[in-house]
Amino acid sequence: MLSQRLQLKLYLEPSQHFELEALIPVFHRFIRDQVIKDLLIDVVDYSHVPDGPGVVLIGHGADFYVGALDGSLGLVYSRKRGGPGPEGRLEDALRRLINAARLLEQEDGLKLRFKSNQLSLRLTDRLHAPNDDATFASTKAEVEALFARVYGGEVSVERLPASKEPLSLRIQASSSPSLEALLEKLGGPPSTVS
Amino acid sequence: MTVATTWKQKLAGQVREDWAREIDIFETQIELRKKGKVEEKLFAETRLRRGTYGQRYDNGQRHDGEKTQTLAFPSGELTKGPVTMWDAPGMQRIKIPYGKLTADQLDTLSDLAEEYSDQILHITTRQDIQLHFIHIEDTPDLMRRLAAAGITTREACGNTVRNVTACPYAGVCSTESFDVIPYADALAFFLLGHPDTQDFGRKFKVAFSGCKDEPCGLTNFHDAGAIARTRMVNGELKRGFEYYVGGGLGAVPYPATLFDEFLPEEELFPITQAVCRVFARLGERENRARARLKFVVKKLGIEEFKRLVLEERAKLRPDERWVSFLKDLHVTDEKPLKAGSELAPGGYPEGFEAWRKTNVQAQSQPGYSTAKVTLPLGDFTPAQGRLMADLARRFTGDSLRATVEQNMLFRWVSNADLPAFYHELRKAGLGEAGADHITDVTSCPGTDTCKLGISSSRGLATELHKQLTVIADTLDPAAQGLHIKCSGCSNSCGQHHVADMGFLGVSRNVNGRRVPHFQLVIGGQYKNNGGSYGLAIGAIPSKHVPKAVKTLTDRFVAEKLDAETFQAFVARIGKKEIRKLVDQLAVIPSYEQDPSYYSDWGDPREYTIGDLGVGECAGEVVPLVQVGLADSERELFEAQLLMDEGSSESAAARAFSAMVLAAQALTREKNSFLGEGVDEIVREFRTHYYDTKLFFDPFSGGKFAHYFFRAYEHRGEASTSKEGAHQLIEEAQLFVEAAHQCYTRIAGALP
Repeated sequence: MLSQRLQLKLYLEPSQHFELEALIPVFHRFIRDQVIKDLLIDVVDYSHVPDGPGVVLIGHGADFYVGALDGSLGLVYSRKRGGPGPEGRLEDALRRLINAARLLEQEDGLKLRFKSNQLSLRLTDRLHAPNDDATFASTKAEVEALFARVYGGEVSVERLPASKEPLSLRIQASSSPSLEALLEKLGGPPSTVS
Repeated sequence: MTVATTWKQKLAGQVREDWAREIDIFETQIELRKKGKVEEKLFAETRLRRGTYGQRYDNGQRHDGEKTQTLAFPSGELTKGPVTMWDAPGMQRIKIPYGKLTADQLDTLSDLAEEYSDQILHITTRQDIQLHFIHIEDTPDLMRRLAAAGITTREACGNTVRNVTACPYAGVCSTESFDVIPYADALAFFLLGHPDTQDFGRKFKVAFSGCKDEPCGLTNFHDAGAIARTRMVNGELKRGFEYYVGGGLGAVPYPATLFDEFLPEEELFPITQAVCRVFARLGERENRARARLKFVVKKLGIEEFKRLVLEERAKLRPDERWVSFLKDLHVTDEKPLKAGSELAPGGYPEGFEAWRKTNVQAQSQPGYSTAKVTLPLGDFTPAQGRLMADLARRFTGDSLRATVEQNMLFRWVSNADLPAFYHELRKAGLGEAGADHITDVTSCPGTDTCKLGISSSRGLATELHKQLTVIADTLDPAAQGLHIKCSGCSNSCGQHHVADMGFLGVSRNVNGRRVPHFQLVIGGQYKNNGGSYGLAIGAIPSKHVPKAVKTLTDRFVAEKLDAETFQAFVARIGKKEIRKLVDQLAVIPSYEQDPSYYSDWGDPREYTIGDLGVGECAGEVVPLVQVGLADSERELFEAQLLMDEGSSESAAARAFSAMVLAAQALTREKNSFLGEGVDEIVREFRTHYYDTKLFFDPFSGGKFAHYFFRAYEHRGEASTSKEGAHQLIEEAQLFVEAAHQCYTRIAGALP
């Protein structure tokens, strides 16, 4: 994947209602206790913005959002810089996303549940990954290969129609493995700082 | 065909040549700094002049609520300025002259927020757009993409002419003398990069207003403020400006002084150029705290300042740009997309009437209205940015304005389109009513991202917005129209001095712990271009501020006389009454009873100002200091009451006395035999706290001590004006505040 900047999102089960602000102390603790192997810097609360990024855990190489930028609540892993080379970017993002989702599910106070088989991918790099057919074709192939390996079974990849948006894909896997199982397939929690 | 692999290649030929060259140079400077070939201070000024700021924690240290942790940035010790780590995320300020945006520009800004920032665009209180958490190495491409859209970040910060602001209703307003936009537009680009604006000791802000009575231009607190005026000269209607200089908020606010009640339009540019020359020549260089133009005007007096400016004006070489723009004052006119029309009765979408009441205003052109999009805290997402751009394309044409109240204004909405326009906004979550009303709380970034923030102004604003929105519909109309503004510190970026209720962040030691507080500032006037400034009544624990707002609002509604304004109401009941409320709310539970008081809004970490600067451990907590500081605060409040009673001299004396008490309280920490004599207190304070720099603020240095020394030098001098007393009270407030901070540092045990 040529785009270094990408956003991978895992959606929350739709019936869940919780206050986004409940994420704030959790993310502060993630920084304090270095729960996630990323260089984490700060927490920003955008819960006042409708359909916004929600609560953001700012990192050096990547951010984590719990919000509804596309209208549906979920966790976003947003790679900004650094990280592995083009071949490993998507897999690394998936691994870090699943790990963070798993950690959030383990937070008793939040009671969050993610749909493990429904994701979206946005390539936020209009220079290297323009929203065109060629980028879609190559990205689709990469997504299908990775998800077939990690999830098994069928994977559908659909391009979202919005010309001014970055290239955005909806990914649906036919199987719904647990987050733990997915993480194990991906090599377990990341051990290096991204 | 070669595929572009860089933005520079991709945008070749689409960027103005001079702007492209400037950005290339900046990119080179980035590379040279990485190689250690540019000194860090020089690089810092270079990036600031391009609007690239630091942010909180950019010293690589962050307090996590328990201890300070080092942020292990990959570039190690490389810095982009003194104590500013290379990899630390920063803020990019983007100048938007008079807030005008085209749809294409808004699309570009949205793309940039999406790719380089944290998915949020933020409108500032000076009509800029800011993006946060930007890496320095992304800035050249970001600037190129902006430049291709016709936007430059040049001189968005640093000691330069900042964004030229103007009333967002200019050209469509029924109270204006004439449309100031062609003047604001031409002056913004005349001053940009002008040789006479490159050597200031501090920033310089310009604002335009079409009329005198409304608040929209806020010219009263700008270095140069121009209010449109017309006059009959030899039977011909001539245009000109009521021209003001030397206004400014900041720690000690100064109202602007009238320079010329009618400056002819052809003299606007040369006089402003001459003002810039005088400022560059006579403005303070060493002491940043006294480097704004307001101090030059104050020091010289307006008559001498004017004489110097006119002398400078006479020396200027004529420049055709002074008047060339006057040949076509319609160049900035907007062409509405649709014909004016009438709003059809009834059948409106849900919420439309409430939104229309607060967010829609009739234009001076029949059949058209302006429509304001309420943006809580000035924030919006890239998707919302693109939606607003599309709405402009569909309904109005390129007529967008970012406003100083941190909202987005659409002009030229044909009245019949208002329901459909609102419907589209509402679908995107942008249909909130209450723009510029009590629920629409203005705030600077505060502790969220600003290095100078002391308390969470955005956290407080969010909470106030949340609580007030619930009761907004039930509020008396007089209360709905109140303005609330919050600043995270005394630098006034939230413009708290001109609000009905202003709040500025401070901290206090309570029960041996740090507690976030806000000073309540009452009595400011928003109308008349920010006509007068409020004064701090006292500090309220952050978590009690919503209660203070509700109590004050309820009391105003219950006791106001007819059409009495909040400002008049406060003047009538007296600050003593307000102070009683502050005193009642000052008491908080112990940490053990309720630790939430010891955290700030929106931030569960135990409160600290450790992220502001380096603490210094020099002893143990001595309660006597707190007693002395409390005495000084009481004295200060008495000073305010005296000023309100018209006893300016007594007020000034009492303000000085408050400073002496604060200095004495601190100095007794070092010299327990310190007496009551003022000379001795000043001398000993200087020895123990100024010469040692123990009193110095990490960012303001010895500024607040200078206030004290100057007040001491001028004590007892001839009669003090009300303005002089007001200023001394402001300075005493800051000195006492600094004494609190110093005490906490020497107490050492507190973060």
